[in-house]
Amino acid sequence: MRATAAEKGKEGTQTGALVLLCLASWAVPGAGDLWQGRFSKGLVFIVALPLMYAIGLGIQGRLFPLFPIDPADPLVALAALADLGIGALYFIAGALGYGTGDVRAVTYEYGNAFLIVAGLLNMLVVIDAYDVALGRK
Amino acid sequence: MQSHFVLLVLFAFFVSLIFAVIAKDGVKEQLRLGGLLFAGFVGSAIVLGWLMYPLPL
Repeated sequence: MRATAAEKGKEGTQTGALVLLCLASWAVPGAGDLWQGRFSKGLVFIVALPLMYAIGLGIQGRLFPLFPIDPADPLVALAALADLGIGALYFIAGALGYGTGDVRAVTYEYGNAFLIVAGLLNMLVVIDAYDVALGRK
Repeated sequence: MQSHFVLLVLFAFFVSLIFAVIAKDGVKEQLRLGGLLFAGFVGSAIVLGWLMYPLPL
């Protein structure tokens, strides 16, 4: 009985650590890999993903707002979710006034593609860190 | 920076880099997969671009 309680406590701690790992990995690209001691991978992610995001902002991409969700335009909500995938940078860029987007710019759509894909790639990085933590990789 | 081709190459570079680093652990394997993905992205974009050239008919 005591062993079961100890195991449950250990499981709870592990789940808490996993949630924290995933949150850190989402908030700062590559943080999950750095946490797990995979420094070269973490460094690539922490440099490449924010750089990709910055290029997207620099070429007039738009950061789509998550709210209000317009049922008539569900793709905007999906784009906002993808943008949000990059973590803290989404909020920092928004607070600094970046990501307003200029629909007249030649590079507007490219900018959106950079922002959306950088966010989605960071989600993949989070899933990868989660898999490594569980010993699946 | 307004060249669509340069932006395409940059985009392909970043996506290939992240995919290769996620999928493989060794540097040689990462370089091989990353190079293949990058060539595939850029090559297919050029081929598709030329295929769409006559459109709309």
